[in-house]
Amino acid sequence: MPFAGIDIGSTMTKVVIVDRNGIVVASVIGPTGAEHRHLALEVMDEAIKKAGLTFEQLDFIVSTGYGRINVPFNDKQITEITCHSRSIRALFPTVRIIIDIGGQDSKGIKLDTEGKVMNFIMNDKCAAGTGRFLEVIAETLGIKLTEMGELSLKAKEYVKISNTCTVFAEHEVTTRLTDGATIPEIVAGLHEAFAGRVVNMVRNLGIEKDVVVTGGGAKNIGLVKAIEYKVGFPVLVPPEPLLTGALGAALLGRDFVARGITPERERRLEGVTFFK
Amino acid sequence: MTAIAQLQELYTERSKRARQLHHSGKKVIGYFCCFVPDEIITAFDMVPYRIQGSQSAPIDQADAYIEPMACPFARSCFNLALNGGYDFLDGFVAPHSCDTVERMYHIWRYYKPAPFPHFINVPHMMGPSSDEFYHKELEFFIKDLEKWSGKKLDTGKFKEAIRLYNQRRAVLRELYELRRPDPPLVSGIEITEVLVAGMGIPAAEHVELVKKFIAEAKGRLKPKAQKLPRIFLWGNEIDDIAFIKLIEESGAYVVMDDLCTGSRFFWDDVPETNDPLDGIVSRYLHTHCPRSNMPKAETRKKDLENRYGYIHRFIKEWNANGVIFYIVRYCDTCELEGPDLREYLNEMKLPVLMIEDDYSTSTIGQLRTRVQAFLEMIA
Amino acid sequence: MDEKRQAKTTAVKGTESARKVRAMVKNLYRGANEAKAQGKKVAYFMVASQYDEILRSMDVVPVPTENYAGLCAAKRDMDRFLLKAEADGYSQVLCSYTRIGLGFDSLRKDLGGVPEDAPDGGMPQPDMMLGSSSVCDPRFKWYQAAGRYMNVPTYSIDVVLPPVFTDLNEVRDHYIKYQKEQFQGLIEFLEHQTGRKMNKERLWETIRLGDEAWRLWYEIDRMRVAVPCPMPSQDHFSVMVPAYYYCGTQEAVDFYNDLYAEVKYKTENKMGVIPEEKYRILYGGGLPPWHTLWIFNYFESFGAVFVIENVYRGYDPVEVPSHVKDPVEYLAWRTFLRLTQRHEKAKANSGNPAVERLLEMVKDYHIDGVVFHACRSCRATTIGQVHIKNQLSQFTDIPMMQLVSDMVDLRDYSEAQWKTQIGAYIEALSARSA
Repeated sequence: MPFAGIDIGSTMTKVVIVDRNGIVVASVIGPTGAEHRHLALEVMDEAIKKAGLTFEQLDFIVSTGYGRINVPFNDKQITEITCHSRSIRALFPTVRIIIDIGGQDSKGIKLDTEGKVMNFIMNDKCAAGTGRFLEVIAETLGIKLTEMGELSLKAKEYVKISNTCTVFAEHEVTTRLTDGATIPEIVAGLHEAFAGRVVNMVRNLGIEKDVVVTGGGAKNIGLVKAIEYKVGFPVLVPPEPLLTGALGAALLGRDFVARGITPERERRLEGVTFFK
Repeated sequence: MTAIAQLQELYTERSKRARQLHHSGKKVIGYFCCFVPDEIITAFDMVPYRIQGSQSAPIDQADAYIEPMACPFARSCFNLALNGGYDFLDGFVAPHSCDTVERMYHIWRYYKPAPFPHFINVPHMMGPSSDEFYHKELEFFIKDLEKWSGKKLDTGKFKEAIRLYNQRRAVLRELYELRRPDPPLVSGIEITEVLVAGMGIPAAEHVELVKKFIAEAKGRLKPKAQKLPRIFLWGNEIDDIAFIKLIEESGAYVVMDDLCTGSRFFWDDVPETNDPLDGIVSRYLHTHCPRSNMPKAETRKKDLENRYGYIHRFIKEWNANGVIFYIVRYCDTCELEGPDLREYLNEMKLPVLMIEDDYSTSTIGQLRTRVQAFLEMIA
Repeated sequence: MDEKRQAKTTAVKGTESARKVRAMVKNLYRGANEAKAQGKKVAYFMVASQYDEILRSMDVVPVPTENYAGLCAAKRDMDRFLLKAEADGYSQVLCSYTRIGLGFDSLRKDLGGVPEDAPDGGMPQPDMMLGSSSVCDPRFKWYQAAGRYMNVPTYSIDVVLPPVFTDLNEVRDHYIKYQKEQFQGLIEFLEHQTGRKMNKERLWETIRLGDEAWRLWYEIDRMRVAVPCPMPSQDHFSVMVPAYYYCGTQEAVDFYNDLYAEVKYKTENKMGVIPEEKYRILYGGGLPPWHTLWIFNYFESFGAVFVIENVYRGYDPVEVPSHVKDPVEYLAWRTFLRLTQRHEKAKANSGNPAVERLLEMVKDYHIDGVVFHACRSCRATTIGQVHIKNQLSQFTDIPMMQLVSDMVDLRDYSEAQWKTQIGAYIEALSARSA
C-alpha cells in the first residue's frame, strides 16, 4: 500500500513515495520543464522505479504545488498549505508556525494545537520575499545562490537594503558596493531585509513557538539565522526542506485511504498539460 | 430561450440593449456606483446604465492619462471609454464615491466628453445636515437634467419610477431567497450574471426576466446535497464571474454577499414619501459602504455592531460558514475597513480570507491557491 | 548583527528662519505630552481641515498625525511603525501616513506606553480624534480604524469642494450652509468633550491671528519671484509648520514676521540659495519625499533651485463679505472661497484649477522646468499629475518630469533611479538654455 505525493513547482518537481506506515521509501527532485510541465511525469516515473514499484501499485497519488491542476496521473490535488502542514506536523509535533520560502512565493501557515491549519498568508505577487529575489541579486554580485548563506555569516555588520522591489534593490546593491561595502555585508543585508519582510508578513498570523522554516530558503543558513533574529527565538528546520510539500501530499493520500475516500476519476500515467 | 440564457447573453454583451435604445433615440445615462438614483434618470424617460470595466481586457491606454496607482476598476472603465466602448453614452454621471472616482471624473470628462456630464457631490459624513446637502445636490442634478432634456421632472413619473425600482429590489431579494437552501437553488455565478445583465437594461425589462428566471429555478431538480462550505462575499466590484467561478469550482457555494455589484446596490427599498426626493435621500445616503462615515458609537463593540450588524444578519440568515473579502487594490476605504470587519467576524468564530486583487483575470492562478487552501482549512 | 550607518538624507535649508522650525515641530509633540500630563485636552488632528482656529480657541491641543509620519521619515525611523501596521493586516499600498499612524498607535497599545526612543518623544494617547474628508478619504477612515487600538471619542467633518464646472453663484449658499453646519457639529462635540462653551470672541481672535499668519506667508512667497530666489522649496516644507500647525497663535505670526524680514533682506541684497542659480524649478505637485528632502540639495549641485511649490500651499488671501458677523459662518465662507479660488479662471481656460495655478507660477516665478512627485500610496495628490502635465504642455514647452517614490515609505524609493532621471532632466534643461 504505497502512497505518492508530487509537488510540481515552477522550476522543480519533487516526488515522495511512502509505505503503508508513512515511512519514506523513495524521493526524487527533478526539473519541472517549462510551460507544459512535461518533465514532471518523468520525475514521477523515476521515483516509482526507484521505489521498485509500478504505477498501478500506488494506492493514492496527491499532487500539490503551483502545477497541481490538470495532472492526469493524480487522484486528488491539494494546496501546498495543507500539504506542508501535514508533513511538518508529523516531523515536529510542537509546530505552530510554518514559514515556507520558495523560489516563486513565500507563505506563512498557522496551526492550532491539534495540527489543523487555522490561518495562512501568502506573498506571490512580487519577487521580493521569494527565492527569486536572492537569485537575481546573487547574479548581480557574481556569486552562487548556494554560497550566500556561508558568505553572510562572515560579516560583522549588515548593510541596510531598503528597497523591496527586486529591480530597485539591484541598483541599491550596486551603489553600496561603490560606497565600499563588502559582499558579505551586502549579503547579510539582503538576508536581513528578506527575513524582515517575510517575518513581518507572518506576524499577521500571530507568531507562536515553535516556528519551522522550510522550502529552498531553509537551506540558506544566513537567511535562517536572520529569520531567527527577527522572530526572537530559535527556529526548526526539517532535514529535507525541499520535500515537505511532496511528503505531506503522500501522507494525505494515506489519510484519504484510511478515511475511505476514493478518487473521483480514473487516473492515467501520461504527461501533464494545461488543457483538460 | 430560457430566462437564464437571455440573462447570460446580456451579461456577455452588456451594452447591446443600451446601444439599441440609444440608436432608437432614447437617452442613455452612464453612471458609477451606488449613489446615483436610477429613479431620477428613469423618471425623465432616460435609461440608466451602470458603468463597468472589463476584467479580461488589459489596460492599454489609460496609463497615458491616469496614474497606475489608482483603483484598477476605475482605470479599466476609463480604458474601455478611451477605446470607444462608451461612445454610446448620452450622459456621464459620477458621484463623489471616493478619491479616485472624483479625480477620474474630471479626466474622463476632458478626454471623452459626453453630451450630458454631471458630478453629484455625495457627502462622506452622515447626519441631518448631510441628508440636506445630498437632497440639494439631487435637486441640482434634476435641474440640470431638466435643462438638458427641455422637460420638467414629473412628480407622478418620479413616484412611479420609485415603485418600479422597489419592485425590482423585491424581485431581486426574492431571487436571493433561492440561495438559502442547502445546496442553493441558484449558483453564485448565475447571480452575478443576473445582476450584471440588469445593469444595462431598463428596470422593467429586468424585472420580467428575473421573475421568469425565479420560476425556472424553482422548477429545477434539487441538486444533490454535498455539505460544501457556504461562503459570504464582502467587497467592492465583482462584475465578472471569474472569481466566483473559482470559488464554486474549488468546492463551495457562494450564498450571500455585500458587494457594490451585489446586495449593496439593491437591498433596501426607497420609502414612498410625500416628496419623493426625501425617500430617495434617506435610502441612498444610508447605503452601507466604507466610503461613508458612520458616526462613532461610545464603545468599540457598539461601533462594530452598528457598522456590521446587517452583515451578521445576512450571514446568519443565509447560513454562511466562511467569509471571503474581495478588495480591489488601492481601495483605501475598503482596505481600512477590512481589518475591522475581520475582527468583528473572527469574534463570532467566522473564518475570513482577505483577498486584495487587481481586478483582472490574469491573477486567477494565485487566487486559486488562496481560495482552495481556505476551503481546505474550513472544511 | 548591527546596521552599517548611512549618509545624510535631510535637506540643507536656505534661510535661518527655516532652521528654527525643528524646535517648533519638537514642541508640537513635547507640548502635547506635557499638556496631556497636565490634564488638558489633546486631539489627533488632520492638517488643512479648515478647523484649526476652532480647536485653538477652545484650548484643544492639536497632535498632527500626518506630520508625525513625515517627521519619522525625515529621521528615517518609520520602518517599525510601517511594519507594525502591515503585521496588523493593513495593506502595503495604503496611505503611508496612515500606516505609520496606525503602527504607532498599535505599538503604543502593545507596549502600554509610547515606544522607546520614538522620534521627538512620540505622540501621547489623545483624548479625541478629529478627522475630516478634506482632500482625501483616509483622513476620516484612519481615525475610525485607529479605534481598534484605543476607545477614544472620534468625530469627523465634511469639507466640501464644488467641482469646477458648477455655477458658483448658484451653489454658494448650499455649500456654505453645509460647511457651517459641519463646523457647528464639531463645536458641539468639542463643547461636550471639554465641558465648556465656545467663546465667539475668542474664536474671532484666533481667526484674526490665523488670517494674519497666512497673509504674511503669502507675501513671503510672493517675494520668491525674485531672481535669484531668496527661499527654496525645502524651506517651504519647514516654514509651512506655523501656518498649518500653529494656526491661530501669536507664535505663528511672530515667526512669519521674522521670516518676512529675512526674505525681504535677501531679496533686496540679491542673495540666492546657491552661488549660481542656473535653473528655476517648480515643484508641481505630490507630497514631498520626506524620507530624502536632501534631494533638493542634489538638484542644487547642478545649479537647479526649486523656487516655488504647489503642495501644502498657502491659500491666496480671500475676502469674506463684511456682512458675515458670525465667526463660524466666516470660517464656512473662508473655506468656500479658498477652495474655489481659481474655479472661474479654470472654467474660462484649462478647466483645471491646479493647471491655472501652475501656469501663474510658471510665468510669475520665471520657471525653467516642472518636477512632480508621484507617491505610490497617496491617491489624493498623485492621481491627476499626468493629466496636469498633459494639460500644461499645451500652454508651455518647458521640460517636465515625474519622479516616483512615496512620501514616507522608503521601500518605494530608488535613489539610483532618481539620480539617473535627474541627470537626464538636467541635460534637457541645459540644452534649452544653450
